[in-house]
Parts: sequence; structure tokens; C-alpha cells
Amino acid sequence: MKKHDKKPNNYSSVVESNDVHKPLEDVHVPANSSEESSCEIHNKNEEAAMRDENLEYDYDKLSLVWGKPRQPPLGSKEWSTFLDSEGRVIDSQALRKRIFYGGVEKGLRKEVWRFLLGYHSYDSTCAEREYLASIRKSEYETIKNQWKSITKEQAKRFTKFRERKALIEKDVVRTDRSIPFYDGDDNSNVKCLRDILLTYSFYNFDLGYCQGMSDLLSPILYVMGDEPQSFWCFVALMERLGPNFNRDQNGVHSQLFALSKLVELLDNPLHNYFQQKDCLNYFFCFRWVLIQFKREFDFEKTMRLWEVLWTHYLSEHLHLYVCVAILRRHRSKIIGEEMDFDTLLKFINELSGHINLDATLRDAEALCICAGENGEACIPPGTPPSLPFEITSMYNQQDDDDIL
Amino acid sequence: MGAYRADDDYDYLFKVVLIGDSGVGKSNLLSRFSRNEFSLESKSTIGVEFATRSIHVEDKVVKAQIWDTAGQERYRAITSAYYRGAVGALLVYDVTRHVTFENVERWLKELRDHTDSNIVIMLVGNKADLRHLRAVSTEDAKAFAEKESTFFMETSALESMNVENAFTEVLTQIYRVVSKKALEAGDDPAALPKGQTINVGSKDDVSAVKKVGCCSS
Repeated sequence: MKKHDKKPNNYSSVVESNDVHKPLEDVHVPANSSEESSCEIHNKNEEAAMRDENLEYDYDKLSLVWGKPRQPPLGSKEWSTFLDSEGRVIDSQALRKRIFYGGVEKGLRKEVWRFLLGYHSYDSTCAEREYLASIRKSEYETIKNQWKSITKEQAKRFTKFRERKALIEKDVVRTDRSIPFYDGDDNSNVKCLRDILLTYSFYNFDLGYCQGMSDLLSPILYVMGDEPQSFWCFVALMERLGPNFNRDQNGVHSQLFALSKLVELLDNPLHNYFQQKDCLNYFFCFRWVLIQFKREFDFEKTMRLWEVLWTHYLSEHLHLYVCVAILRRHRSKIIGEEMDFDTLLKFINELSGHINLDATLRDAEALCICAGENGEACIPPGTPPSLPFEITSMYNQQDDDDIL
Repeated sequence: MGAYRADDDYDYLFKVVLIGDSGVGKSNLLSRFSRNEFSLESKSTIGVEFATRSIHVEDKVVKAQIWDTAGQERYRAITSAYYRGAVGALLVYDVTRHVTFENVERWLKELRDHTDSNIVIMLVGNKADLRHLRAVSTEDAKAFAEKESTFFMETSALESMNVENAFTEVLTQIYRVVSKKALEAGDDPAALPKGQTINVGSKDDVSAVKKVGCCSS
């Protein structure tokens, strides 16, 4: 890992020093600008910020954004301009950039998410994708049939299956039931969630089912509609996020570790505060990281956030910069009220439903650009959602795993 | 104490954890106690959630800060970190699922490994309204509770049966432990110096907090 001790205070003052009097909407930071140039803009204000420490405590009130303004979501017409005559995405980088800044229109998600999630490759043709879909459909049915064909008698002697099924059934009936799509008794979409999760637990028997997975699947099924395609998109997502659910929790721990390093880099005073309060395990961000902010935003906003994260445009780990952005938005309250671990955890939990997505994304973008290579050096290789090096040994579970 | 809870008016703040297998009804016990609400479709708990409610114990206002933890075994490494400072615990099982009762022993060990020995524990058999589905007898649970020296109660969050009693009993017992400790230390519990932390056990981090004056920070 590279060292990242290069003047951490430069970074910490960057966002505070954002001008109180003059909104920085007009300070255009090109997406590909180097860390130096983007930080330079702010260094001018650094001195002023340091003169007035109270400025830091006004932070919450400011619209401290200097990421690019968010754009309207990508629509069908524009989408077609990204495709060649056979349906290949001509410039995936440009497409990902476009989605990074604006997301995707509702009706188009079904098509675009399949690329973002990696279920379809950008250079596939329409015909190839159609063929793949038919193959995948029958593959799905084969795996699904593995548990469908278990008789009651057989299930009596198959404790692990019964336990998993019970756990999944407990969870799907309490997943997003306030959304009309999953509303009401005997909802077929809820059954579909169950079938996909149970099939996944056979597809990846070592990992099985873990709470939080239904939260990740729910928007995918909502967007895709189709059961086999939802399954394969979920599989693709789990290739990246599967380690979050590992028994040893190493996936989450590596992300929380990277987060602590990023805060140290980007907001040294806040880092010092957490250190002083013995909060460096960042467990208060556990839910954010485990299910990608699913419980922090409403359904629609979650989908917008996810498609932005899935572009992996500026970083594969933008979600960690989102964490930093949210923490920084509330740093004056956290520090000013001397929150200890318990109070902080309660405070963070209660932010749910009160986070401004667009402003947070712009902050996250700015922080990511500003941190540049030093930021990436904070994140150990293989940290989710990076693809793991070795898939085979990832989910090595012990036999005495979850009773329930 | 931070300003976060400065507007409350209470004499004692007790941290209580709710633990037990997934789906036994921990979150609903909490929502029934703190907001008098119940939902069959409430989301599974990821990590930990909180609620608070103040009750009167003798002539004191006791504020309970109740931590509702995720039940799935795989998250225990992280949820056990949330036990720190807890002075009470409701260990919940589902009277209709025997396996959740069998696992109580493991939860108890978990609790005793991570908290002080003076912690007040109550075994709670929830979903007692589902009489026709009962799989754990009251007698068995009572015997187990006696053996393990924990309090015991059967509840129904759905029917609002015994929920209030269970929490009140735990909080009252904690209050007694705290008062006794304070008396042993030669203090009148009603006249403790402002801001004093009362240790109920040997570990410093296991504490009940007596509310300090209005201008404290």
C-alpha cells in the first residue's frame, strides 16, 4: 500500500474552506482533473478558513458542493446514441460517465442495469445478449429445480435446507413491503424474492443466505421484473458484494478499515476525534456499507445511488467517499456535541431518510477527486466491491454455521 | 453527556440490549414498548437499532436506552461490540420455534462473555399469543431461567401482553442493583453528586448514568 501521509490537513480544510459567501457552483472541476488542480482551487481559501475556526461549525448550513451539478437521468433517446447498429456499447467509459452524473430513467433501468452489473458485457451485440438470456434462463431453472425437487420427507433430514428456507421466508415478508410492488397478502413478487434467494443459496451454497441479501435483491427484481434475469443480475452483484456476508465479516471489515484511512486522509481532525473517542472501528457505518445505503434512502433514491456507484466511474469505492461525505456534513455536530460511540451510532442510525442524495454525491465526487491516488492507496486491494482475486476460497464456511 | 439528550428529563439512564435469534420478535417488542406499535412487516434489523422510553421506578425517572440487535449468527462478531455498557438484557426466544429456545444458552454465553456479571438478564418467551403453535413449555423455560438465575416472562408483542411488565421489571431490577451499589458505597442514591457514574460491576464501562444537572456538558 502506498503511503498517504501527504499533508492530511490540506485535505481536511478543503471542504470547510469552500467559500461561505460565494457558492462554488461555478468552480468547475473537470472529472478527469488531477488531485493537485482540484485542491489548488481551495487552497486559496484555506488561510481564511483557518483564521476563523467557527467556520467549521457552520459547515452544515452551507451548500458545500464543488462536484459537478447533477444531470437529468439518461433517457432512451440518448441511450440509443451510445449503441452501434448491432447493439454494442461504443464507448463504455463515456456511458458510465454519463450515468455517474445523472443516473438512468426509470423505464431504461431494466436494460442498462444489466450492463452496469456486469450481467451483459458492453461489447456484446443484441443477438448475443438474446442468446445468452435464453441459456441463462434454462440454467436458472436447473438450479432452481435442485431445491424445488426436495420432497417433504427429504427435507426432514436436511436441516440446513430447512433452516435456510425458514430464514429466507422470514426475511422476504419484511422486505420493502411498503412499496406497492411488494405490497399485500400472497404477493407473487415476494414469492419470487424467496425463490431467487433460495436458488442463490444453492448456486452459492457456501455463502448461503444472509440477512441483508433480500435488501440487495429487492430493487433488482423490481427493475428487472423477470425472475431468471433478476437472479443472474443478483449473482453479478454478489460477485462483488458477496464478501460483505462472509462469516468472518472480512468484506465489511476491510471496507470499514479503508473508510477510517480515508477519513484520516480527508478529514484529519474528525479522524483524531474518532480516535480519541475510541470509535475507529467505524461500526456505526456498518449498515451503510453492508447493504450500500439501502436503509438510508427511499427506494427510488437507493436505485439512483446504486446505478451511480455501479458505474465505477471515478472509483470502484465511491460508496466509501459517500460515507466520508455524510460524516463530514455532520462533523461539527459530532464533534461539537462530543458524541461518544453510543451517541454517534444512534445519531447515524437516525440520519436514515434525512440524507440529501444529490448533495452527498457531489461531495463524494469532490472528495474522491481531491484524494486522488492517495485515496485509492487507502483502500487495500480486493476490498469489496472490487472483484476478488480468487473466487474459489472466498466463502469457506464452517459446518457449524448459522443455526438460524 | 452530550447535548444530544440534554432536553430529556430523567434521573437514570440505563442501557438495555435485546438479543436472541432472528425473527423471534425483538424489534416488535421494542416498538411495542417504546411506541406502542406492532408490525408484521417490519424490516429485519441490520446491525443495531435504538429506542428510548422513560418510566417511573419508585420516585425516580428511569430512561431506558434499548438496543435492538440483529439476530443472525453471522453478525454476532459485530453485534457483540454493541453490548458495551449494557446493564440489562432481554434474551428473547420464540415460544413456537424450539430451536430459538435451544440457542438461548449460546446467547447467554455471548452475553456473559461481553458484559459485566452484574447485568440483569430476563429470558423472554415471545409470541405467546400463538397458543396452538406452542413448542416450548412455560415450565421448561422457567426451569431454565431458574438454573441460570435469570428473570423470566412470556410476552406477546402482538397482543401487547406482558411487554410493559418485562421491560419495567428489568429496569426496576437494574435500579435496585444501582441503588444497592450506591448504598454500599455509603451514598444515599437520591443524593449522589451530580454527574457521578455509578458502576454496577467491576468493569469501568458497565455503568448506569445518573442524570446530571441541567447545565452539565
